[in-house]
Amino acid sequence: MAHVSIPMYWRTIPQRYSLVGYKCKKCGSVNFPPKGVCKYCSASSEFEEVKLSGRGKVHTFVLISAGGAPPEFAEQEKAGGQYPVAIVQLEEGPKVIGQIADINPKDVKIDMPVTTELRKIYTEEGVIRYGFKFVPAGK
Amino acid sequence: MAIGISGYGVYIPKLRIKKEDYAKAWGSFSAAGVSEKSVMGFDEDVLTAAAKVSRRALESVPIGPEKVTRFALASTTPPYVEKVLSGTVMVSVGIPNQTLSSDHTSSTRAGTEAMLSAFEHVQANPKGVALVAVADAPIASMWDSFEHALGAGAAAYVLSSENIVAELEGHASYASEYFGERFKPRDESLIHDLNVKKFSESSVITNTTKAGNALLKKLGRKPEEYQHVVIQQPDARVPTTVGSRMQFTEHQLAAGMTSKVLGDLGAASTPVSLAAALDDAKPGDRIMVISYGSGSGSDALSFKVVGDRKAAPRFQAEADQKEYIDYIKYLKLKGAIL
Repeated sequence: MAHVSIPMYWRTIPQRYSLVGYKCKKCGSVNFPPKGVCKYCSASSEFEEVKLSGRGKVHTFVLISAGGAPPEFAEQEKAGGQYPVAIVQLEEGPKVIGQIADINPKDVKIDMPVTTELRKIYTEEGVIRYGFKFVPAGK
Repeated sequence: MAIGISGYGVYIPKLRIKKEDYAKAWGSFSAAGVSEKSVMGFDEDVLTAAAKVSRRALESVPIGPEKVTRFALASTTPPYVEKVLSGTVMVSVGIPNQTLSSDHTSSTRAGTEAMLSAFEHVQANPKGVALVAVADAPIASMWDSFEHALGAGAAAYVLSSENIVAELEGHASYASEYFGERFKPRDESLIHDLNVKKFSESSVITNTTKAGNALLKKLGRKPEEYQHVVIQQPDARVPTTVGSRMQFTEHQLAAGMTSKVLGDLGAASTPVSLAAALDDAKPGDRIMVISYGSGSGSDALSFKVVGDRKAAPRFQAEADQKEYIDYIKYLKLKGAIL
């Protein structure tokens, strides 16, 4: 299992639970997840926290099948079968990776609108790791 | 000062299993009056459902999460027995960390218990805004016949003194000592029930009618003055049994009979059913809510509908959106295959 320690996971809670983005004070681009230096202008390390809408469109995606799932997601694959993982372009700009839930994997399409919801991602050391997943918009 | 419900939301997980699938697996289906029931997905639990339904309730007002001054969470099936549960939902929804929160978890009465604690906050703080989230998906052994009824659902309420859609007219409670019905010993993760049916029934009837009749007396009301009556639904028969003792008719119970298609929603039974009744109600209507928790206790709440702002999506839309699973998939999702 790709071990993520408790403190490491905890530090990412603003991103995982409530999609907090970091708007560069120089170029205005939104960094997600946070960066030391803005990944768009490489000229500023000052950011303003912004709450992202969670809405976006599927930029590209892949379907994960048996054997392809990382160990922490193997049980999910066994219970529910193949699941989609997408790169989604959010309304505010950043491209974000995450699972798409509540959809038949065959129905995932590039450019389909999605939104985010809190879900259980996996459990490690008896601690449920919550975070966002994408779901089809308009639900 | 009038206080009441300023907004509400409902969430029903879309997976369903039919009673026929149970009958195929076990030879019979034991949940009276239930034709199918809702099931949570693999990546959902009562906290993710509470977060989702909390957002819906806030948006229905609409009001921002930063305005919430009191948060109450209720479920009989929290993912942890010890841990502050409300924190997960607060952080996800954006409710201020300074907001007083409480977790109500020890019986199916927990939903109304959370609502009444939140109402006390609004009563004491006229400018206060309370959010109550109730989500449940009770779990029992697959060998236990009362497992058949257990479903999943969530409802949330914004309570305040502004933008009221249903005014709280009054409430009454009753608690007493019973045992053997629906309990979870300290070292067990599944609900037990000793299946002493007549004894359990007398507990249900005693507690609910004592609370309900006390409220009618307090308000000087007759049963027929209510357009809608919502009663705890461990199955679809109990509300009828209790209702007939209190002179409530099938017609008054109809809008809130969520168990017929969703099963036993545990602590969320009366909150989800109240949402269904509110969706159906017209300004001027009165709604009586009577919850029940084994062990035992009951809360009765009386509302007068004063607005016609409804949940979005409505209860019926949530109930209609569904995807059927078979019994094997159900066992996998419930973690019953070890």
